[in-house]
Amino acid sequence: MKSKLFKIFALFLIIGAVAAACGSDSEEAAPATTAAPATTAAETTTTAQVEVVAEGSLLDVVQARGTLNCGVSGSAVAFSETQADGSVTGIDADFCRAVAAAVIGDADAVNFVALTASERFTAVQTGDVDVLMRNTTWTQSRDSSVGMDFGPTTYYDGQQLMARVSDGFSASSTVADIDGAVVCTNVGTTTEKNIAEAALLAGADITLLGFETSDEVYETFIAGGCDVTTTDGSALVGRKVKQQPADQEWVIFPSTPISKEPLGPTYGQNDSAWADAVNWTVYAMIIMDEYGITSANVDGECASAEAEVGRLCGGEGELQTGMGLSADAFHQVIRQVGNYGEVYDRNLNPVGLYREGSANAGWLDGGLIYAPPAR
Amino acid sequence: MSETSSATAAGSASGAPPPEVTRLPPRQWVKENLFSSPFSSALTIVTSIVLLAIARALLSFIFNPIRQWNSTATNMQLFFTRAYPDEQYIRVWFSLAVIIVLTSISMAVWRAGSSIPLARLGRKLLAGAALLLLLALLAPFSASATIQWTLAAACVAVIGEGVRRSASKGGAERTVSSLTVLVVTLAGLVASLWVVPYGHHTYIPSRQPRVLAESGTVALTTKLPWTIMLLIAVAAYLMGGVIRERLPVNPTRITLLILWLLAPPVLIYLVLRDPSFDMGHVISTDLPIFAAYALGGSVILSWLTRPSTGEAGRILAVTILVVGFCTFLTPMRMVVRLDMLLLAIFALAAPTFAGGPRNRKRYVLGWLGVLGVMSWLITAINTPSTVSVPGGFFIGGFSITLMVAVFTIVLSFPLGIALALARTSTMPIFRLLATWFIEFVRGVPLITILIFFSIMVPLFLPRGMHLGEVAAVVIGYVLFSSAYLAENVRGGLQSVTRGQHEAADAVGMTTAQKTLFIVLPQGLRVAIPPLVGHCIGVFKETSLLAIIGVFDVLYIGRIVIPGQTEFMGSTKENLLFVSVIYWIFAYQMSKASQRLEQRTGLGER
Repeated sequence: MKSKLFKIFALFLIIGAVAAACGSDSEEAAPATTAAPATTAAETTTTAQVEVVAEGSLLDVVQARGTLNCGVSGSAVAFSETQADGSVTGIDADFCRAVAAAVIGDADAVNFVALTASERFTAVQTGDVDVLMRNTTWTQSRDSSVGMDFGPTTYYDGQQLMARVSDGFSASSTVADIDGAVVCTNVGTTTEKNIAEAALLAGADITLLGFETSDEVYETFIAGGCDVTTTDGSALVGRKVKQQPADQEWVIFPSTPISKEPLGPTYGQNDSAWADAVNWTVYAMIIMDEYGITSANVDGECASAEAEVGRLCGGEGELQTGMGLSADAFHQVIRQVGNYGEVYDRNLNPVGLYREGSANAGWLDGGLIYAPPAR
Repeated sequence: MSETSSATAAGSASGAPPPEVTRLPPRQWVKENLFSSPFSSALTIVTSIVLLAIARALLSFIFNPIRQWNSTATNMQLFFTRAYPDEQYIRVWFSLAVIIVLTSISMAVWRAGSSIPLARLGRKLLAGAALLLLLALLAPFSASATIQWTLAAACVAVIGEGVRRSASKGGAERTVSSLTVLVVTLAGLVASLWVVPYGHHTYIPSRQPRVLAESGTVALTTKLPWTIMLLIAVAAYLMGGVIRERLPVNPTRITLLILWLLAPPVLIYLVLRDPSFDMGHVISTDLPIFAAYALGGSVILSWLTRPSTGEAGRILAVTILVVGFCTFLTPMRMVVRLDMLLLAIFALAAPTFAGGPRNRKRYVLGWLGVLGVMSWLITAINTPSTVSVPGGFFIGGFSITLMVAVFTIVLSFPLGIALALARTSTMPIFRLLATWFIEFVRGVPLITILIFFSIMVPLFLPRGMHLGEVAAVVIGYVLFSSAYLAENVRGGLQSVTRGQHEAADAVGMTTAQKTLFIVLPQGLRVAIPPLVGHCIGVFKETSLLAIIGVFDVLYIGRIVIPGQTEFMGSTKENLLFVSVIYWIFAYQMSKASQRLEQRTGLGER
């Protein structure tokens, strides 16, 4: 018995040694594997799917694949909502569809990937998503050390506060007025840090209550568990429109937000061709908005268009073909998705957010939405 | 049906009859159990007040007009399958039908269900009516609603009284099968879908507002399939009865077990995923590889299982294993490597199953079966799906909860048993490795493992290689679950006495035979309660999928639906709904465990 066990044991020891040898060998062999021709590199396994990544721009990869993998939140009111039938709607989702219309020619060729806040940058780095439209704030650290690049801002947000009028707050209140108040907010986001910094600067002494989900924040606020709630202005407006009880009146202040939250497309760094395609999709939607060309009239306008609109419609062509898109790429964007104003109104008006007078008005109307010229 | 159930009752009541329990009249029972002393009287009164207050609070929560229950009703499809396309929904119903048919046939073959005395059923219905009446009076209803609920309570009471009276007619005590009661209850529920105006909620993308809520009964796409499902269940049960009478018992049960094991991968990867097979590729590549392994493996294994092969067979088996590992040196199809490793496992185990021609033929057939299933699975998984769904995986919601739970439980069982055997073995390397693994995994929180597999592992993989998120998560769950399972199994193994080991040695069994046929069956029987408890734990732990952003049923209820413009602030309603779903399934599992314990005579012998 003993000797038999010893034999088996010795056998496994040998197997182990051989396996270890195989393991160290395979590490050296790894470069050879990746350099193998595409047919063998496209090898698939039970759990893993290997995709050939050609050296070059993501633009070619996306066009070859025929679908755009777009990272969204999937549960952000008005930005990217997952609907009852599983479809994704919202302003972020519409910008995904716009990029797909420009790059592939079909606004429906989008694979929406729902990402948590912690997963989003990993997903870009591993190539799981081509572009992030996940209400991601453009910050210095994300632009530099995290390895992201940011496109044109599609929505200028900013953190604000909301309180009850009955507690003496008004639209002209400031952060200094919340001295002694209990403030509710989501944990784990920058809103917590922003309000703490702002209160410190204003000399207000506040008690912060953190909650896991936004719904819990507003449940507590409605029940009177906190005096003030704070998060991005867009979310506050939505909550005020949808959830303000009949016996309470809420007010949002200060008129100048306590933080800057420019939200826009995000993608991996050092890929200019891809960055250009995404950025100019957004710019084209802004320019068309300036000219008042919508999905309803784009076909007629493009037929007789000249100058800037004509160039964007693909009349002269080489502007778009030069960047690897088809000549009528932006014509398709407007026709299938709409211009910036249409997309904004469609998704954000239902939650009480309007462009007039906000930072998201066009630059001619005193807002910040501005695009470089197409020529 | 009552015949079979009385037979079951007679079968289970073998041995000494249970001692007579004297039944007290209600007044005396109450006095003895609730008001026996001043202290117990006070306790009874306080507890009743607390319970009534809780019930009232819960009812006022549920029936408060500001509750957005239409958020739950509108998103029912999202809850159960996430974005599975409407035009392919028949696949979901088909999968459900397959599971229902298997369940019904198994219930008939294993003689599930017990007989309930009619008198007891009547009393239960009367008690239910009283509870309903109490709720109707407690809940903050409008007057008309209170009357409706009171009427419903009266209906139940009348039925209960009728049942109770009919029980006392005739001399002998009349019983009814618990399955009959179940079917009648389900039929009542299904019928209510056609009659009761629960409301009709739909989501229409092209319309403003996009959510449509109408009064009336539920949509035809809900009530028709459920009616068909009920009919299928009854038909399958009757068919199961015929199978039980006509066919030999053991082969039927083994066939059913194999079907149960095959059902999850077949339903998920063939029916729900609907891969579009590239027949040219299948014929030119996959089939030849399968044929080569089938032929070569059969020859090798039939030689290895000859008792006369001896030590040379072991050397060959180990050579195959080494070759299997070395296939990872050069780029080649993954299926070739996996098949080689599978063959190595079969070759290593071959001496245990050595014997006459019949044994050998069986072993080779087993190899062909497992190889066939694995080859088909690999081909199916690597074939692109025709179901176009936004997001990473083609199902979500409760389907993915169930899928992850089933795969985790099924995969972690063999791994956990292997770990337990390794930890109790006399070979120091195995013992040490198993102990280290178990103690390491048990020392790390599950969330850490899940986050590691969903966020860190993709960074380690070479660029362009994707491990599907669900696959990564299932690996994490399996590793975690198997470590805990191993300890449960080890507890069972230790209950097998030394004498059993020695007896097995005395009749000349090899270590593998002793383990497989003597130790494990006895050890696992003892470990049933902790193992089932573990399964329930795994089922509930799948809710941690929410943390890494997989759209499971909890994430949908807590984050996704309150994130819809129409239903902001509906977290509480949806969380209550989700908790009810979890409770139904966990409770059924614990009931099943109780039946299993009774059947194996645990705690009696």
